[in-house]
Amino acid sequence: MGNKTDVWQGTLALMILKTIETLGPQHGYGIARRIEQTSGHKLLVNYGTLYPALLKLEQEGYVKSSWGLSDNNRKAKFYQLTRSGRKQIEREAREWNETTAILAKFLSPDEA
Amino acid sequence: MTKRREGIGDELRAHIDAHVDDNIRAGMTPDEARRQALIALGGVDQVKEQVRDSRAGAWLDTVVRDCRFALRMSRKNSGFTVVVVLTLALGIAANTTVLSWISATLLNPIPGVAHTSDLVTVARGDRSDHPSPPFSYLDLRDLSERTHTFSGLLGYHEDYMSLTGVAKPERIYGALTTANYFDLLGVRPILGRAFLPEEGTSRAGGAVIVIGYTVWQNHFAGDPQIVGKTIQINRHPYTVIGVAPRDFNGCKTGLRTDLWIPLSMDRDVWESDRPARRGSFWLNVLGKLRPGVTKNQAQAELNLLMRGIAERFPEDHRDSPNEISLDPLWRSPFGINVYLYKILPMLLGLAGVLLLLACANVASLLLVRSVGRRREIAIRLGMGASRLQIIRQFLIESLLLGLLGGTAAIVITVWTSRSLVDFFPPSSIPLTNGAHIDQRVLFVTIAVSILAALIFGILPALRSSSLPVQSVLKEETTSVSLTLHKGRLLSGLVVAQISLSLVLLVCAGLFTRSLQKAQQSDPGFEASHLLLASYELSPAGYTRATSVAFNRQVLSKLSALPGVESVTLADFSPLSFSIHTDYLQIEGYVPQPHESMEISRAIVGPNYFRTLRTSVISGREFTEADTVDSQLVAVVNQAFVDRYWPGEDAIGKQVTDGPGRFTIVGVARNAKYRLLTYPAEPVIYLPMYQAYRSTQDTTIHLRTTGDPRAMASSVEETIHQLNRELPLFNVNPLSVTMQLGTLFGRVAATFAGSFGLLAMLLAAVGIYGVVAYSTRQRAREIGIRMALGAEKSGIYRLIVGQGFRLTLTGLVVGTALALAFTRLLKAQLFGVSETDAITFASVGLLLAGVALLACHIPARRATRLDPMVALRYE
Repeated sequence: MGNKTDVWQGTLALMILKTIETLGPQHGYGIARRIEQTSGHKLLVNYGTLYPALLKLEQEGYVKSSWGLSDNNRKAKFYQLTRSGRKQIEREAREWNETTAILAKFLSPDEA
Repeated sequence: MTKRREGIGDELRAHIDAHVDDNIRAGMTPDEARRQALIALGGVDQVKEQVRDSRAGAWLDTVVRDCRFALRMSRKNSGFTVVVVLTLALGIAANTTVLSWISATLLNPIPGVAHTSDLVTVARGDRSDHPSPPFSYLDLRDLSERTHTFSGLLGYHEDYMSLTGVAKPERIYGALTTANYFDLLGVRPILGRAFLPEEGTSRAGGAVIVIGYTVWQNHFAGDPQIVGKTIQINRHPYTVIGVAPRDFNGCKTGLRTDLWIPLSMDRDVWESDRPARRGSFWLNVLGKLRPGVTKNQAQAELNLLMRGIAERFPEDHRDSPNEISLDPLWRSPFGINVYLYKILPMLLGLAGVLLLLACANVASLLLVRSVGRRREIAIRLGMGASRLQIIRQFLIESLLLGLLGGTAAIVITVWTSRSLVDFFPPSSIPLTNGAHIDQRVLFVTIAVSILAALIFGILPALRSSSLPVQSVLKEETTSVSLTLHKGRLLSGLVVAQISLSLVLLVCAGLFTRSLQKAQQSDPGFEASHLLLASYELSPAGYTRATSVAFNRQVLSKLSALPGVESVTLADFSPLSFSIHTDYLQIEGYVPQPHESMEISRAIVGPNYFRTLRTSVISGREFTEADTVDSQLVAVVNQAFVDRYWPGEDAIGKQVTDGPGRFTIVGVARNAKYRLLTYPAEPVIYLPMYQAYRSTQDTTIHLRTTGDPRAMASSVEETIHQLNRELPLFNVNPLSVTMQLGTLFGRVAATFAGSFGLLAMLLAAVGIYGVVAYSTRQRAREIGIRMALGAEKSGIYRLIVGQGFRLTLTGLVVGTALALAFTRLLKAQLFGVSETDAITFASVGLLLAGVALLACHIPARRATRLDPMVALRYE
């Protein structure tokens, strides 16, 4: 587990939103597992920050939650994207793309 | 589905369950699966905590938690809490008490009228504490018709009336008013209507009356059908057209009016014809400024109009100055505010000083206690609490104490706010007592409590939150001593307490001495053994001639009673705000431009000066022979002669009062009839049988050989033998009623005195607490000193010396403060200088003595310390 990194500050929210967008309504545990999966198990989600982050997203109105039954018939809280959540994904994704594009220019060899 | 709200706990449980399922699927045993799931989550409670902290209202949670902790702390230290809350309660209650009076008088000058900021009283002539009504009806009518700066001017004249036609006639304070009175004030009768314009101008149809709520309740049992019924005032019938709202008592602050009649009815009520006479100044006037008009503009306009009127009617305006002055109601010369607006803000200042002192006291107690809590705080800081959290915790504890103190203060104020009226001696002055805890007082109390909590809480909070955690935790609790810095802060607080209490004690001393001086001062008459009793003849149906005959009978019957030394009559009594004034023309004296010739005028019976023991310096006093058929005569006092005929012989000179020219036949010593603290003013005395005026009460002055109270019943019997129907009122010894003459001095002395004593007590407790505390902290040092052979007296001196240095510093600072502060009191003091050395010295000595006593107790305890115990204790 030594090569796993914690999720970078500020990126967790976008990952959560994107995960929900991909999977549809999902519970906290599922979101965490999916993030770890998507990262090829390179990222480790700290549950102590996951749930506060979910609460924050809900308070900001990007996701809404409801109680339902999970795959193996257990009661769980499902998070679902709202309309403003979708817009937020677009906005944040655009910003990230810009940021990485800028960084890429710095890092690419033909810049030198 | 259950309605239970699922929380974060349920969500985490679901999370773990899902993880466990996954782990089992991955091949773990159920136990191992659960263990791993829990490890991965990293503690359910920690996650819960993190979620809770990021919730929107999270700060509220922590505040609630802090409050709960503060409550627990205050219950644990209930002794400390009680002392602090009591200290604060007294400090705050002093302020709210004075504030409740200010609120009821200066800030709410006309109960029942919400907006009074655009109302002004209109006065004519120099500002006076006791102006007589300044306007005639015709002058007021002309002013109202021409003014552009006022949306209206109302006039009223108040005096006692008798409710007649009932089994027992009753004196009721009533007013004759202009017809716009209620409309201009914005007061709507709760039943019926107010006056119509024509009712104010014509006697025909003017016999209508608006009665006050109290009269309605007490005399008509709240009869809902009262409108349209007839009642009798001074034996004339009036139709009730309305009932005034409960709160409304007329528009003269502090005095209650219970009846209102249009002023066109003057002839029926008081058998005079003042509305038709331009020279009869009998109306008090209140004006409502138009929006956007300043007081100065209005004053300039009225002055211009008044000058025009005076030029057109010179005969009527020659004797009185015509300069107009406008005053907002809070310092209106009419009513009680003219006295209160000087004294109440001053008392509020003193109460503020007391509260500051209480804050210093509580701050020092908190500081001492916070030293005892160093370990608790250090541990919290060590566990990762932020400095802000510690400060918040401390401030919340302070706020809790402050609000508890404020609540207790309100309970105290419920009782003390009514106490202003207790200073008035029994008299028939129709006082209102509106002082109570209103919204404004409540709001300010809460604000003051919070402010006080910040003042006394911030220093200990800041100080405690900046502890050096490491060293505190390493220290043994018992060896914690005051750091130099904290010691200095505590000393500063003690010095503040001593100096503030010196300021309050000096004020208390000055007021007390001033009151004593006033009470011991020679009023110019002898008050002991004098019984007063009043009656009113014109409502009982007497004419001028029958009144004089009745008065003669009264005098001859009373002087024959056993135990009576001498007896006389007067239309006023000394020091009860009842002397009247007239505008005089004085032979050989040319008034300065704008000089008021309004002079105190007393109408007195034969033997007045003998009965009052006011000596007649030259000439003679009035006798039975001074009647309508003889030459008109007058007596003036020495101040009159000094002012208008300095260095001349007054006997034989003439004074014109209205239609009469009076020849001076005597000069009397000065006597004080208004306030003992006022300088002697000119007074003219006219003989009762010549100058009797039916509109005024007659007061019997009876000098007895024994206790004047014992004569009361035989005086009443005598009067009832002459007229069974005539009510006697205000039957009291002069020594009781004249207390009105020192009223404001007594209010000031009582309050400053109790503030001062309270301040001294607080300062004593403060210095005792600090010295006792530091002695306890120095137990080890003292033990070592004693083990090394220090004398007990040396130890004693060490402890007392520490306290005494603080006291001395406090006294020096306090003296400087007091010298600055007492300058503001100068105008309120009588016969004592604001830098009175005796007061300053005795207060300083008293305070030093008390402080010494407060240091003595811990110092003696220190000398009894067993060095072995002190050292082993470590």
